[in-house]
Amino acid sequence: MSTEAMTPDYFSNCTHCGFCLAVCPTYKLTGDENNSPRGRLRLWSEEAAGRLPQDKWTDFYTAECVGCLACETACPATVPYGEIFEHIRHEHVASHRFKPKLALRLAAAAVTRPMLFNLALLPARLLRKAGFKLHRFLFPGRPAALKSTAAYAEELMQRHRPTGPRVAFLTGCLMEAMFREINFATVRVLIENNVQVIIPESQGCCGAFQEHTGLDGVEALREQNRRAFGSLDVDAIVCNSSGCGYALGKTLQPGKQVRDVLGYLGDLSPVRRQRGRDDGTRVYVDLPCHLVHGQKAAGIPANVLDATGYRWELAPKAKDCCGSGGVYNIQKPENAHTILADKSAFLNEAKGAPVILGTSNHVCMMQWHSAGATGLVTRPFEVRHIIQLLDPGENFSIPSTSPQP
Amino acid sequence: MTSPVKSSLEHQLKALLPRGRVLTSAAQLAGYGADGLGYKNHLPDAVVIPADAEELAGFMRGAKALGVPVVMRGAGTSLSGGPVAVQGGVVVHTSALKKIREINTEGFWCEVECGVGLNDLDAALKPYGVFYPPDPSSGPVCTLGGNVASNAGGAHCFRYGVTSNYVLGVEAIMLDGSLHRFGGPAGGRGPWREDWKRFMIGSEGTLAAFTRFWLRLLPLPEKVWTFRATYPDMKTTEAAIHALVAHSSYPAAIEMLDPRGVAMVESSQMACGLPEGSFMLLVEIDGPEALVNARVQSVAELLRQAGSNDVMFSDEEALRQKLWKARKASGGLLGQLSPSYVVQDAVIPKRALAEVLQLVYDEADAANIRAVNIFHAGDGNLHPNFLFDSRVPGELEKVELISKRLMQRVIEVGGTLSGEHGIGNDKSAYMPLVFGPDSMRLQLSVPAAFNPAHQMNPLKVFDNRHFVA
Ligand SMILES: Cc1cc2nc3c(=O)[nH]c(=O)nc-3n(C[C@H](O)[C@H](O)[C@H](O)COP(=O)(O)OP(=O)(O)OC[C@H]3O[C@@H](n4cnc5c(N)ncnc54)[C@H](O)[C@@H]3O)c2cc1C
Ligand code: SF4
Ligand code: SF4
Repeated sequence: MSTEAMTPDYFSNCTHCGFCLAVCPTYKLTGDENNSPRGRLRLWSEEAAGRLPQDKWTDFYTAECVGCLACETACPATVPYGEIFEHIRHEHVASHRFKPKLALRLAAAAVTRPMLFNLALLPARLLRKAGFKLHRFLFPGRPAALKSTAAYAEELMQRHRPTGPRVAFLTGCLMEAMFREINFATVRVLIENNVQVIIPESQGCCGAFQEHTGLDGVEALREQNRRAFGSLDVDAIVCNSSGCGYALGKTLQPGKQVRDVLGYLGDLSPVRRQRGRDDGTRVYVDLPCHLVHGQKAAGIPANVLDATGYRWELAPKAKDCCGSGGVYNIQKPENAHTILADKSAFLNEAKGAPVILGTSNHVCMMQWHSAGATGLVTRPFEVRHIIQLLDPGENFSIPSTSPQP
Repeated sequence: MTSPVKSSLEHQLKALLPRGRVLTSAAQLAGYGADGLGYKNHLPDAVVIPADAEELAGFMRGAKALGVPVVMRGAGTSLSGGPVAVQGGVVVHTSALKKIREINTEGFWCEVECGVGLNDLDAALKPYGVFYPPDPSSGPVCTLGGNVASNAGGAHCFRYGVTSNYVLGVEAIMLDGSLHRFGGPAGGRGPWREDWKRFMIGSEGTLAAFTRFWLRLLPLPEKVWTFRATYPDMKTTEAAIHALVAHSSYPAAIEMLDPRGVAMVESSQMACGLPEGSFMLLVEIDGPEALVNARVQSVAELLRQAGSNDVMFSDEEALRQKLWKARKASGGLLGQLSPSYVVQDAVIPKRALAEVLQLVYDEADAANIRAVNIFHAGDGNLHPNFLFDSRVPGELEKVELISKRLMQRVIEVGGTLSGEHGIGNDKSAYMPLVFGPDSMRLQLSVPAAFNPAHQMNPLKVFDNRHFVA
């Protein structure tokens, strides 16, 4: 991200057609055009052109944006909204027009030191593992407390010796420190599909946290990852969180192929899980914004969803934001809650027993989990990462029909 | 610094809208300075967002006493400077009036609030097997209030007709706060002796605030075939258009993209494999399955006969959606080429098509301005888009000069000024080219009867329609 001031030129390909209004969660919430992509772009460009003095309302409307990027997908003029927004947010934080909440500032500092971050969250991992309900965002799971994903992957590589394509895996910061069980499942699924998994030790946080908060330090993290991943001889770099994948993609491209792990598995036709004939499970699949609007993926491949062995369907409004927005549900909890209320209402009536809400981003998982914890959804449901639904468990072997190099 | 006048306005507005929003800060007004013509900026003194229809009614009861212009705004996609405060005043944003109040499949009508989005209505109607035909390309975002107020058209209006053909009734609130219903679900005149609802449709916010509508619906066509044909030149394209218009299959839509429009689509994410340098026609026929199936080959043959060796047709919904998406987003795609554009909306007799298009190219080339033509060819409703950079001194003036020459020629060949976008503030200067003084006087007497001081959307349609407090 450059630190030069935005010139009015930067905004110039917005024709003011308004197509982005219809998809914007904050416009839908408030009906206020200033709280829409077209409105925000107008405020920023008027300010950049010197026609609008700095105003607390510009700061307010800027902070209201979830960063879901639905407006980028809707925009026929390909206005790079995400890039502009990131720049403006950083500027607002740097010039004290906006101050992220203390918890976020602390967390942003912590993620740049993965060892420390992992250690700090050790008690949280232990408590999650023991089944404690710690917070409305913390969905249940059983993460390994001490063994890292890198160590685990190495162990499984030795044991199974996959011979197929080689991928490097970004384990992430919060994913590794808090939701490590999803990383472990990812490693198992990849290896079961005969994929060789490499986890570069020197990798760092993808920088999404800094991007979401507008805090400094993103460039250092990007540089660290360019060094960690840039020169690897691999077929792809995979991520299991679409937000991290989007951030790493921006860091490494052009040159390196960063893939969402589910999209990558789609190319391989993954091993299918068998379920009982009378299994009544229904999976409702939600598509993370940073997968469909950020990475511009069409969705999660149908063959991957079929391979879960469950009956699945897309959740209603699957491409609309759930309100998580990286750190939006912490920065603007009321808005995030209202957005989620609309989106999650269907679960109360949804068919299936049990009902699973499946997605592919841990931050969205946290947000969806809060729908139960805050009473928006009153019937029981589980939130799972799709990779967990493909998980063969600890005892698996690579089928002999797996893809070969 | 807030002036005392402004803070008193804010005070009054807050009293009128206890539940809705009142915006008065500079940065809150900035988002409301423009419509779909982004390069023009007219800042209002305040914006109000009524929480619901009742609050809008309450606002209208007190609006006259505010002594400032009142400008209605739906989604602000107008391409003629319609929902903007050219003379200052209060912009009334209808974004919260989004209720679809009834879908009546026996009587084939629905009742909607003015802020309902067009495509949202479509989606709600679909499960009932009915549809509302007018389909302006701004459908993903425009509101029915804006559609009725500008009598919007669209691609399928060639056969189905425009908004006015589907409005059964309008509920409107005048500036004195009185509420009137012109027509209703049964259509007709309602309690009125004459069909005054026709005064409302296309009135561009100059008469009253519309709160809700009763709209006529049709059964969804059983079968749709979509054709895409490309042509090497305007002459062959024009031949195809003439043949289609006269053909017994009675196409629902006949749309055209010129080579510059084709190039724009092809260099976007909506690319659909159109040959470089070609003119493209997008044609649709629909109706009972057996009947339309029987007509497919003859339409394809007609398209070939006119000079195309690249005719494709399909009844696949995904392909159809793709082609229409490219057509409908093309207005926005212009942003990839140029920061600003002006789009004209003239309607001409189809015999003059090739000649007038040539004039567009010649004039634009001579002035070194890029022109892209994407339009409703079946109705002869031209949409030449003139691309320019509003920051370069003199460019807008060049575009205005070309537009004026074009308008003069349009009128000489028997055409008129606007097919569907409305006159607004952008085309009011051309009104005297089409209408003589007597006609202008007569037309102006209509808004004068409904709000004598011209407090509703002043300086629109007629450039001398000032609000005098
Ligand atoms: C990309 C693009 C493509 C377009 N394609 C087409 C097309 O194919 N066909 C077409 O006809 N138009 C088209 N338009 C123009 C525009 O979308 C239409 O005129 C549309 O009807 C405007 O609806 P809106 O809700 O945006 O209204 P606005 O732009 O907000 O307002 C339009 C006019 O209606 C008045 N108005 C709005 N609501 C009310 C109300 N409740 N009561 C009284 N008056 C009201 C306003 O004062 C204004 O004069 C296009 C625009 C764009 C940007
Ligand atoms: S990123 Fe999302 S919330 Fe922000 S302007 Fe775009 S659509 Fe709206
Ligand atoms: S869709 Fe794109 S061009 Fe249209 S108003 Fe939004 S940002 Fe501007």
